[in-house]
Amino acid sequence: MRSLRSRAILWGLGLSALSILVGAVVLVTSVDDIALRRFDTDMAALHLQLTAAVTNGAVDADIIATELSDPLYERPYSGRYWQVTTSDGTIITSRSLFDTVLAVPAASRELQYSDAVGPDGAVRLAWRQITPDGEAPMVVAVANSMAQLYAEQWDIRQSLLSGFAIVGLLGLIIAIFQTSAILRPLSTLQKDINRRWDGNEGLDPADYPEEVSPLVSDINILLDRNRDLLERTRRHSADLAHALKTPSAILRNELSRFETAGQTIEIAEEALGRIDAQITRSLTRVRAANLGSPAQLGANLHQSLQRLDRAFTTLFANSEKILDLRVPPELRVSMDVQDVEEVLGNLLENALKFCRNMVVVSAHQTADATVIRIEDDGPGISAADRIEALRPGGRLDTATRGTGLGLAIASDVMTAYGGTLSLGQSSSLGGLLVVCNMPVRHGL
Amino acid sequence: MRLLLAEDDPALSDQIRQALVQEGRVVDVVKDGEEAAFLGSTEPYDMIILDLGLPKRDGLSILREWRAQKNGVPVLILTARDGWSQRVDGLDAGADDYITKPFHMAELLARVRALLRRRMGQQSPLFEAGTFSFDTRMGRATVEGIAVDLTAQEAAVLTYLVNNSGRLVSRTELSEHIYAYDADRDSNTIAVFIARLRKKLGAQVIQTIRGRGYKIDPA
Repeated sequence: MRSLRSRAILWGLGLSALSILVGAVVLVTSVDDIALRRFDTDMAALHLQLTAAVTNGAVDADIIATELSDPLYERPYSGRYWQVTTSDGTIITSRSLFDTVLAVPAASRELQYSDAVGPDGAVRLAWRQITPDGEAPMVVAVANSMAQLYAEQWDIRQSLLSGFAIVGLLGLIIAIFQTSAILRPLSTLQKDINRRWDGNEGLDPADYPEEVSPLVSDINILLDRNRDLLERTRRHSADLAHALKTPSAILRNELSRFETAGQTIEIAEEALGRIDAQITRSLTRVRAANLGSPAQLGANLHQSLQRLDRAFTTLFANSEKILDLRVPPELRVSMDVQDVEEVLGNLLENALKFCRNMVVVSAHQTADATVIRIEDDGPGISAADRIEALRPGGRLDTATRGTGLGLAIASDVMTAYGGTLSLGQSSSLGGLLVVCNMPVRHGL
Repeated sequence: MRLLLAEDDPALSDQIRQALVQEGRVVDVVKDGEEAAFLGSTEPYDMIILDLGLPKRDGLSILREWRAQKNGVPVLILTARDGWSQRVDGLDAGADDYITKPFHMAELLARVRALLRRRMGQQSPLFEAGTFSFDTRMGRATVEGIAVDLTAQEAAVLTYLVNNSGRLVSRTELSEHIYAYDADRDSNTIAVFIARLRKKLGAQVIQTIRGRGYKIDPA
């Protein structure tokens, strides 16, 4: 189980249930014992009454019945019985025993209790050997049906179980609240990390509980390392780009001079073009590969599109082409800002270059992805050429769509982030449709 | 037209300078950011080509400084930084155009011409006044359809006057825009160039406003 919250709640629930179960068993046993002792005390009183009746009068059923004057002894199988066994083995019983006798164990001078079987089921038996003055010893026993004891015990158990159920429910609610309270610093930490991922500010360990602060210190180190890595990657890419592209520009200009002087330069220029394209694409991929996987970054799509719109307004100063942005202002995409702008910049430049009048950008959020659609009213790309346009090293660049490298670069960056870029035909505008699908990383 | 080229690679800056000079531009070349910032702030350039990755000072901070000083000189960024975020940052900082390395010289020259025309408020690269016409792309003048041979300095004077057609241009201003920073600026020689141009193009093309300067009116 990966969720700490579920784990804490389930463990809390399990342990609470176990302690409630053990507590219930102990308490029920104890309460049963108390009920039995009270029952036995009542039995002792009944036995005393019988002993008094036997001692005061003759050992005769009618006399004893009169002395005891309890109607339950008179009604057959009423659940309350008495029995006197004289020294010669004569057994005198209450009318309630009707035609049965109780199996009384061996005689004892002390009052004894035991469970026995009566005519209507289980009974509690209290018996003792007595020796009235001037008479032979006799065994005097009373019995009381256990049904009454069982009913009493059941009532107490029901009350106890209801109480335990309420305690268990309260325990569950407390476990949930307690878990939330304990895990709150971790949720705060997650939000703080997301906020600070792209900034230079570290997290203050003093803001977190002492159990979490060592983790915060370690995260600070990781954040620093990540920033350092990103910065070095960016700087390295920029240095490499400068180191490679300036000589490439010089070579290209020298080739132009040779061409002016009448030399044939097509093959060299084509080779240089391929080198330039590979440099551009490789540097973008290296950068995106370094940024794409570990970071949990977020960029406001609308803001990036507005920045690009301003840039295209300057770059296409004399153009009357329309860039229509239909993107909700709050929509975010799980990518580094520079990479979002790299993808959209390449796609929009392509679309603006080849559209007749209009480019439309729309975007929406699904449960698990941000979907961006860029459509134009240009000639589009045939189904056969679409695969080639996105293929690594694809050569559509020298065919119809300018350098065309933009589509491949955009596709590379999307792939580095686990997203997809697909090409199709716009149903509303008739030209190229580019769909970018970027999975959402929760916690943005 | 006088341009400032801020590029630290000597081979590349030499190539660009030569190409611009061939088009009749006067070019000052600087190799670091501090020099670029100083000259860009103090000299009346018609345009600046700015590399971003300059030693001593980054090109972007220089551009922001110029714009903060209300210096509206057209700036074309020429850089190896080809990411779209960097392009947007450059244009947001106040650049008028952005070219990434490697580039085709022809494209750079075309963008330079377009920016200069935009600065002068001209839509067409071809200027015409009566029988005189001047192609700002090629730096080529014709009278009644016949090409006129011009020296580099004559072409520079004519280009500046054409790009500022309809407006009076003083000798001092003209000398500031046709001589490089380290050249010996003698505004008296301007009169010599004007006289030669009059001889080649006809007396009516360039008007002299005595004591104030020169002017070319479009047709």
